[in-house]
Amino acid sequence: MKINSRFLGTTAATCVLGLSASPRSSAAVSDEDFNALKNVVQQLQQAHDQDQQQIQKLQQQLGDTQTQVQKTDAAVQAQSSSTIRNALHNFTMVGDAEVQYAKTFGGATDPNGNPHRNGFLLADFAPIFLYRANDNVLFEAGFDMMLNNGSVSGHENSSSTSVGISFAQLDYVMNDYMTFVGGYMLLPLGTYSERAAGMLNKIPDDPLGREFLPGAGAGAQLRGAFAIGDSGQMITYSVYGANGPSSIDNTALAGSLDLGGNVGLLSDGSTGNLHSAPSGGGRIGWFIPWGGAHKDLEIGISGQSGVWDDAGDHYWSAGVLDASLHIGPSFELKGEFINSWFGTTDAGTVHPWAVWAQAGYKLAGLNLDLPVISDVELIGRYDKESNGQGTSTRRYTFGYVYYLTNTLLFEGDYEWLHSNDLNVPANQLIFQLSYGF
Amino acid sequence: MKTIRCFSNIVIRPAGRLILAAALLGGLAATLLAAEPAAAAKKTGPAKKKLTGSELYAINCNRCHQERYPTEFNSAQWQTLITHMRVRANLPAKQAKEILKYLKEEAGG
Repeated sequence: MKINSRFLGTTAATCVLGLSASPRSSAAVSDEDFNALKNVVQQLQQAHDQDQQQIQKLQQQLGDTQTQVQKTDAAVQAQSSSTIRNALHNFTMVGDAEVQYAKTFGGATDPNGNPHRNGFLLADFAPIFLYRANDNVLFEAGFDMMLNNGSVSGHENSSSTSVGISFAQLDYVMNDYMTFVGGYMLLPLGTYSERAAGMLNKIPDDPLGREFLPGAGAGAQLRGAFAIGDSGQMITYSVYGANGPSSIDNTALAGSLDLGGNVGLLSDGSTGNLHSAPSGGGRIGWFIPWGGAHKDLEIGISGQSGVWDDAGDHYWSAGVLDASLHIGPSFELKGEFINSWFGTTDAGTVHPWAVWAQAGYKLAGLNLDLPVISDVELIGRYDKESNGQGTSTRRYTFGYVYYLTNTLLFEGDYEWLHSNDLNVPANQLIFQLSYGF
Repeated sequence: MKTIRCFSNIVIRPAGRLILAAALLGGLAATLLAAEPAAAAKKTGPAKKKLTGSELYAINCNRCHQERYPTEFNSAQWQTLITHMRVRANLPAKQAKEILKYLKEEAGG
């Protein structure tokens, strides 16, 4: 204890001496140095005050800017949520073009009694104009400009050039499940009419039986799809009202049915169509993929019905079953079963019908690794039709598609025709160069 | 006793038919049972992943036409084309959006 007391006493004494010595050390700073230091401190203080003022000023400006941005955002949001949206008017053109050559065989003659000839049958340019106003509004119009040259010599009046509208429709995407379509629409009777561009058809000629159905019609349509799960499976639907088939001369004779002449200016100067009421129709389809891409099945059923004569006494109706199957990237099988019925005053109820089935196999599936062979797809089709008035035709087609590129196709087919219509040639060889753009 | 003559020289009696039918059914059942574990294994396998835009593109577009390369059109053109194809091919909205996203990314401009 004594030792600790002495130690504490010694320490305290040292501190006292230290404190008493320090004034002497500070006394060594001159007044001049002190004032200079004081000035420096004052200048620093002033600079600090100025910085503080600048910071406050900048904070004020930042606040004003943020307020302005919020106001602008609110205005933009209000504008985008309003029913009227700005249109951007994006324009894109797609379509296809074809050149076709045909050689006919057999003793059949054309409707004028002349033998069928060989040569370049047609040159076709079919652009589709797409105008997109915004994400929900699209106007699309498809044209078909065709030089159809039925005579090689050029000395007969059988060649023609035509310009026509295939479709011209306004699409309004109402929500995720429904789109409104209005105008001159491709009709979803089966799937062929909506997938009939030259580059999509692997055979130049349309299947038999498609002439029993209207390809397009003026009217309005609701269509859409519902996805089932996450596998890509879906249910699709289309419901429409269209002018429908009409009579070419107001009568209900079997030969007066006009599937395409359903709108326009009538001979008496009024507008409309030569029948009393529009037709209604629709299609429902089921698309089932399995195992990813290139393995899928699509089946559909569609129909249309409505009066076709001016008096409104006779109905024209149609029903179509369609199916399409892909097994791997190389094999495709598709077809349609077409039935139509129409009442007449001279032939009772006429029942045209047709069936067609088409299969294709891409030789790339053989894995031969041969550059030309691997770009070929072999195609075959069987189609048969009866017009319900005594004429029936069967046809067997076999051919190929050579893919020069993914959009440039060179097709060649041989058709064996069997018909009790003398105007139908016996057999045909057709080549077609088809380009999609 | 009625008999069935197959392949011209093999005779099967009614009792034999029953045995043959039972054997066929047994074989079929065995085949199905043998296939069952594989099917069960598939069911308990990894959960199905959501299809990507490129997979949906291949599934939906290739069934009607050859695939178009994403670089054939720019982003704005793809936007228009997908709206067109959504209507024409009845594509579900979510699938159309996924396909468009893929095409825009690959188009690169």
